[in-house]
Amino acid sequence: MSLFGTFDVAASGLSAQRLRMDVTAENLANAQSTRGADGGPYRRKEVVLREASGGSSFGAALAGARGGAAAGGAGGVEVAAVVPSQAAPKRVHDPGHPDADADGNVLMPDINPVTEMVDLIGAQRAYEANVTAMQSAKSMFSKTLELLR
Amino acid sequence: MPLIDTTQLALERAIQGAGVRQEALTANLANVDTPGYVRKDVDFHAQLAGAMQAGPDAAARLRATGFAPTADSPGAMRADGGTVDADVESARLAQNALEHQALVTVAGARLDVLRAAMGIA
Repeated sequence: MSLFGTFDVAASGLSAQRLRMDVTAENLANAQSTRGADGGPYRRKEVVLREASGGSSFGAALAGARGGAAAGGAGGVEVAAVVPSQAAPKRVHDPGHPDADADGNVLMPDINPVTEMVDLIGAQRAYEANVTAMQSAKSMFSKTLELLR
Repeated sequence: MPLIDTTQLALERAIQGAGVRQEALTANLANVDTPGYVRKDVDFHAQLAGAMQAGPDAAARLRATGFAPTADSPGAMRADGGTVDADVESARLAQNALEHQALVTVAGARLDVLRAAMGIA
């Protein structure tokens, strides 16, 4: 039944957009972090999305086992990777900073709050679109169930 | 005339087609930010119209009709290669949901007629 597959697809969109929001929030929170995981300043992270292949759900496996053509419907979206940015860190002159080098320069993360806020709004809108799709599928399914009354 | 006639069968197939289309449109919305994603759609109207033209074989053709999403030809696209427009996709989603609702209502009304004739309404 394809409508249950619709729920899975919308849910994959929800979790992908939520991860985008998480990563954006992490970037904003670490805008001033001079000590990242690899020793240097924190590097901006970016989420890479890709189309999911689909056909891994129970319903798709069952349809495939019965020899049906319905196997492997739409798969939704999945997170391919969270990659650190390759941009060079900003060099800020701040001799009082504990991480300043001999010339008084500190390497700061190259994070622009405006860019992050725009990403946040984009992820939020996409999340809302997926919520709407899920609600629409829900009302379609309950309407179909009324045929049994 | 059989109890479930060609029209009822076509309605049932159309309901299924709208369900498959809803899944394809939802997948488009889920991939709104996926680079290189080409949007998909299900043209169940054309498939059912073709089957309905088959005259006496229409019922058999309708039963054999399956629905699968097809990818659009990549035309105008964004810089990242994605072709999904969230607004257009949302509009299609709402339209398809209403169409599904209309189909279910008509199919239900026809079943009510049968029930009334049998005296179980």
